[in-house]
Amino acid sequence: MRYRRRGLDIASHALLILALIAFCLPVWLAITAATHDQASLYTGTAPLWFGSEGLGNFRAVLTEPVGRLGTDVTRLLLNSTVMALGIAVGKIAIAILAAYAIVFFRFPLRRLCFWLIFITLMLPVEVRIMPTYKVAADLGLLNSYVGLILPLIASATATFLFRQFYLTVPPELLEAARVDGAGPWRFLRDILLPLSKTNIAALFVIMFLYGWNQYLWPLLITTESDHMTIVVSLKRLLSSADNLVPWQTVMATALLAMLPPVAVIVLMQRYFVKGLVDAEK
Amino acid sequence: MATFQRHRVTPWLLLTPQIAVVAIFFFWPAAQAMLQAFYVEDPFGLGRTFVAFENFARVLASAEYYRALGITVTFSAGVALGAMALALLLAVLADRVIKGAGAYKALLIWPYAVAPAVAGVLWGFMLDPELGLISAGLGALGIDWNHQLNGGQAMALVVMASIWKQMSYNFVFFLAGLQAIPRSLLEAAAIDGAGPWRRFWTITFPLLSPTSFFLLVMNSVYAFFETFGTIDATTAGGPGGATRTLVYKVFEDGFIGYDLGSSAAQSVLLMGLVGLLTLLQFRYLERRVQY
Amino acid sequence: MATLRLNALRKTYPNGVTALHGADLEIADGELIVVVGPSGCGKSTLLRMLAGLESISDGELAIDGRRVNDLEPAERDIAMVFQNYALYPHMSVADNMGYALKNRGVPKAERRRRVEETARLIGLEDLLDRRPKQLSGGQRQRVAMGRAIVREPRVFLFDEPLSNLDAKLRVQMRLEIRRLQKRLGVTAVYVTHDQVEAMTLADRLVVMNGGRIEQVGTPMHLYARPASRFVAGFIGSPAMNFLNARLDARLGGDILTLPCGTRLASPIPASGEAKTVCLGIRPEHLAVVPEGDVIDGDLSVRVELVEPLGADTLVHARLDGQDDLVVARIDGIRAVAEGDSLTLRPDPGRLHLFDPETGQRLAPMEPECQHSTCPA
Repeated sequence: MRYRRRGLDIASHALLILALIAFCLPVWLAITAATHDQASLYTGTAPLWFGSEGLGNFRAVLTEPVGRLGTDVTRLLLNSTVMALGIAVGKIAIAILAAYAIVFFRFPLRRLCFWLIFITLMLPVEVRIMPTYKVAADLGLLNSYVGLILPLIASATATFLFRQFYLTVPPELLEAARVDGAGPWRFLRDILLPLSKTNIAALFVIMFLYGWNQYLWPLLITTESDHMTIVVSLKRLLSSADNLVPWQTVMATALLAMLPPVAVIVLMQRYFVKGLVDAEK
Repeated sequence: MATFQRHRVTPWLLLTPQIAVVAIFFFWPAAQAMLQAFYVEDPFGLGRTFVAFENFARVLASAEYYRALGITVTFSAGVALGAMALALLLAVLADRVIKGAGAYKALLIWPYAVAPAVAGVLWGFMLDPELGLISAGLGALGIDWNHQLNGGQAMALVVMASIWKQMSYNFVFFLAGLQAIPRSLLEAAAIDGAGPWRRFWTITFPLLSPTSFFLLVMNSVYAFFETFGTIDATTAGGPGGATRTLVYKVFEDGFIGYDLGSSAAQSVLLMGLVGLLTLLQFRYLERRVQY
Repeated sequence: MATLRLNALRKTYPNGVTALHGADLEIADGELIVVVGPSGCGKSTLLRMLAGLESISDGELAIDGRRVNDLEPAERDIAMVFQNYALYPHMSVADNMGYALKNRGVPKAERRRRVEETARLIGLEDLLDRRPKQLSGGQRQRVAMGRAIVREPRVFLFDEPLSNLDAKLRVQMRLEIRRLQKRLGVTAVYVTHDQVEAMTLADRLVVMNGGRIEQVGTPMHLYARPASRFVAGFIGSPAMNFLNARLDARLGGDILTLPCGTRLASPIPASGEAKTVCLGIRPEHLAVVPEGDVIDGDLSVRVELVEPLGADTLVHARLDGQDDLVVARIDGIRAVAEGDSLTLRPDPGRLHLFDPETGQRLAPMEPECQHSTCPA
């Protein structure tokens, strides 16, 4: 039994739908603006309906060098994809290995290693900007994919999550595998990785978003447009024109910048929600 | 826990990648920042002088630093409370309609995937002094919106954009928390004569407090660090430093002002702050997770 | 097909706790040994040391005369059935059974043949493509057995393999394990805390307590001649009754005197002075004496509780004027009610005497076995 009030139900739906509209509004305006040309855009306030350009602005930014960027958005999308995939795969791979060592082996300094990894939660790139930049520069990583990816692939969160998951694996499974003649690498490949599939998928979504949406680090490490990411390019586009901001170009680029991560989250929503809630535990 | 015995080298092989990255890109730079904080670099980069705590003293004596601290607190409180309150309201609504809660979740979740910088750009367009739809609406109400000139409005812009992005994260957690509350508890309260309003404040809200606490920490971390992109892409700390948060100031002093000592000292102070937040977070984890 | 030799096997954990205080045991080829004892007695530790899952702190373990202390589990050529089966959840039944063979590099066709052969042997043919999640408890148990059998190991190890099954299935699987083990002729060590399971399965029983082996022998030998009060109390259900008694020499024979004043002829001679002993009588060795037939040495009791089991009835009764409760197993057709007075007569040939301090058996020392089914 549940106390139901029809009026409240309707009001709830109404408020939720209102919120949905409000949340979609910025994106809707971006879509409409991206279909106008600059002249029609600047005739008044931002248009609520599509303009005459259709997908023309998208085609333009994808195929021709944009403003002062000196490159087209296709290149930026490629850079972002490489970075996001590199970070997601890298983080997951090294976190799996580290958590595996910490849970399934006993060795001196095991706890210290765990704490060293865990404590990196306290050192986000934002608090060690200058020296990290310097290290990357000294290693010759400026303007390179390695430089975009490598410094960001340590992950306390992922290591912690895999550790939590491994701790729930029944110890008899490891013992059975040992009796069956499986060594550490075989156990990892044949038993543990197949069992971690959903956790890996969930983390992949979260880490892909993390990688794609990075701002400060790519801003520092890429000075040339051939390694610039699409998220970072927006600011340059905004400040590129001396007088009028070319909003139709900015919005087309912004939409392209949010398309891949939004697609990932929508397609993999089930894993994403699981990943979020697990990350909390 | 069962373990592999007699494997001495394997665990180190497994740990090497993680430890190497952590050492090279986390601990080494962090140590550098700490060391740097005690030196002053000469302007031509030819040498440096040990100045003990002078950098810290300089930072802590500057009015600019306290202004940035105040802005950070205002900004973080605005983002955290705004995003949480809005998410809680929507989660409660979605939870009580039963039919469609999943659909609303699916439709509200995607802003989480939008980069902070992109969120800033989208809102910057809606509030653009010339073209913006909302700024036009506000103009009609007699409010002259120009976040490029008005510091308060600039702050409001970055807060709104940040809330818009973070809300969905909170929504997922609040909805999960609400759905985990046993129906029987609410039914018992209903039988005891508590109306929906009272039921919410006496049963639901207290039972959500662990979730709320966790979200408060996560939202603070988000507002502190991840919103750098939002700020840089829209206001760049301006106008006149009105949106210059602590993190933004570290960046500005280091990369634009080249005051390495001061930037490093600020980094160290920030690390302390993050340490505090992490500790809070870990205390929460500890209660939830058996170590 | 192997013999096992345990020589002063010890387990001491790094924190100083000793789980096993030197176990000695010889296991013959094809024998089914059941290790039984209360929880925490060290039986699981012993089994896991045989498997190679726990290191051996001291002593020697040999399979077929070869020392295996330092071999990995897989190198010992053993197979183990776990209490929770430990099936790999993401693998099919066939893959679960074939995993060890795969790790050993057995070719695919050969692997398949052996898995199918074993599946036929234990009735799993139709389930080979299923995942463990799609199986019932009994079927999972069978897969765990199959996984052990398919490898044709030298030794089977069973760690309470039936404790997750319901009572009926447990009896059925118990018989099946016995049948399979005999048919395959593989040496087996089976750990359980259930003494009924232990009695019915074992060629020889090993009773453990507090990290030590208390007694080793055939089930009937342990039943008839328990070496200690602990074994006497652990083997047999319901448990043996224990009463304090005074043993002293009298003219015309040595006498046991119970606190209620009853006197019994002692099965062993008294040595010198009178001393206190612990007298053990199994419930099934107490017979109801018809009224008027009472002789010296019978116990008069008052019935406190009656548990009818069908064929038998368990009577919990209090000795007259005493606090001691005794349990008697009597014929089920006899009507007994709570509050009745009864006279019980102990079987004079089935009395057990134990030292009250050490718990060691005092009498009769010679393993003179009277039971017809008891092997020599």
